[in-house]
Amino acid sequence: MNTLDYLILLGSLLGIAGYGIWKTRSGSDLNTYLRGTGKTHWLTIGLSVMATQASAITFLSTPGQGYESGLGFVQNYFGAPLALIVVAAVFLPLFRRLKVYTAYEYLGHRFDSKTRLLGAGLFLVQRGLGAGITIYAPAIVLSTVMGWRLDATIVCAGLLVVVYTVCGGCDAVNVTQKYQIGLIFAGMVAAFAVLISSMPSGLTIPEALTLAGGFHKLQAVDFSLSLDRRYTIWSGVLGGMFLALSYFGTDQSQVQRYLSGTSLRESRLGLMFNAVFKIPMQFFILLLGVLIFVFYQFERPPVYFNQAAWSYQVKHGQGEKLRALEAEFSAAHADERRHLQAWIDARRSGDTSAATAASAAAEAALERAQSARERTGAVIRGADPRASANDSDYVFITFILDHLPHGLIGLLVTAFFAAALSSKAGELNALGSTTTVDVYRPFVRSGASDSHYVAASRWFTALWGLVAICFALFANLAENLIQAVNILGSIFYGVVLGLFLVAFFLKRVGGTAVFWSALAAQALVIGLYFTLSISYLWYNLIGCAACMGLSLMVQGALDLAGPGVSGKARQ
Amino acid sequence: MKEPTDDEATGLPGLRTWRRVYTAVLAVFVAWVVLLAVLSAVYA
Repeated sequence: MNTLDYLILLGSLLGIAGYGIWKTRSGSDLNTYLRGTGKTHWLTIGLSVMATQASAITFLSTPGQGYESGLGFVQNYFGAPLALIVVAAVFLPLFRRLKVYTAYEYLGHRFDSKTRLLGAGLFLVQRGLGAGITIYAPAIVLSTVMGWRLDATIVCAGLLVVVYTVCGGCDAVNVTQKYQIGLIFAGMVAAFAVLISSMPSGLTIPEALTLAGGFHKLQAVDFSLSLDRRYTIWSGVLGGMFLALSYFGTDQSQVQRYLSGTSLRESRLGLMFNAVFKIPMQFFILLLGVLIFVFYQFERPPVYFNQAAWSYQVKHGQGEKLRALEAEFSAAHADERRHLQAWIDARRSGDTSAATAASAAAEAALERAQSARERTGAVIRGADPRASANDSDYVFITFILDHLPHGLIGLLVTAFFAAALSSKAGELNALGSTTTVDVYRPFVRSGASDSHYVAASRWFTALWGLVAICFALFANLAENLIQAVNILGSIFYGVVLGLFLVAFFLKRVGGTAVFWSALAAQALVIGLYFTLSISYLWYNLIGCAACMGLSLMVQGALDLAGPGVSGKARQ
Repeated sequence: MKEPTDDEATGLPGLRTWRRVYTAVLAVFVAWVVLLAVLSAVYA
């Protein structure tokens, strides 16, 4: 990064923070602070919903997924369009009819205060921890770019986000997100253009895709029925649908976005915008990672993408081992490049047998290179267990810093931070709102003035920001970032969704039955997570089904116990 | 804020009911899955 890049980065960051403060300078009542002015257009809602979900993690980590595992991760989003249709048709009209601030208020209307508190509590736990993981993402960028320690970077970046979020309200979040997602799209297109123009001379797009396919990177749809496989079309459609239904239908950070629409129509169209564009967006981000993989088959990448960690260990006792592995990696990569060039020449000359032989030799050389890379990771993690467990998170930022021109580097790093600030603002605002509306106001201090609750919401937002920072300090022990967020969500989301589906569709079930059933279902999901080895997406389905099934059984038992018990329990 | 009604006009040409909007979105989803399955098969 040079002066121009830093100017773009700092100017934009301070501009966004200043804009958030300026938007809220006149103060606002509780309704405007939590729900916005209620005049938001469908495109703003659509982009805002997209920006809240597509945080810096999406931009940083997903290309790394594409680089390592190919396109298979796109299946994770197959359930999203189906879920968004259900949210638009069922959830949204009910939320708007009751004019609720948070989704959990609805549970209070339908059941009772303890069930409302349970729904809000599950959201606060999982989103509070998830917010920590998403603070971790921009910290990776800074630690790589500046050469800072990751933990120090987490604290600095986190505090900046907290200050901006506490100052900004719901309306400022919606408005700024529209421009921030524009920055993200511009960054993606720029990275794509530079990548395509940087491909080794003569390599066409079909050849690049054939090469990627030869290394099993274009397996976008997997029809396997195995429960062990993390991404299949079945886990994506079923588990992914329940994950998306929980996220878009019950996660306050999303509900708050689409409840700010002028009318039901605006909110619905905003959701349908996401239903249409979510899969193609994720596909192109993953494809970017796949094309970076192809690019690095011809241009030697670092043996370990997290160069800060590598350099640190080289200087602190692991230099001999790491240099030897780097030499081994370089030799294997040079072999691979030679074989790939032979494969291209053979294909062009129509020599099938030579192409097959060159392809097999290239694959063998790639395996040797990957082996050296994996052993490098093992050495680094052996010396420092806190070192990132997944090097793929550093793939995209390494490509940007090494191969993009100055100015564009600043723009892309700014786009990461714009995305991080934007989604964090939405998340922390939702955490503060839920704590205020669903916990503080009904259980701690009722009947206070609007300005008191606005102030309380700001304080709770700051508190959650600090919790998120603390959790982020431990996030580097988790797997690939985006997976870590989804795994965490899947553990809690299923049960929260179960609460809402019982409320919508099982009219005979009362508050007591659903409350205890949800607690039991959550304990079951946590127990299964630590004992089973299945795709995490299935936990959404299991949690939801367990909550609904147990609710029916408990309500049945209460009914059998007698009308007195049952009647009391329904309240 | 307007009162929400389920039969509120979509304002989209050719997709005048919400049922049609949802069907169109579903069709786009199916088209994407088919395209991705074809891509997987072609480059397997």
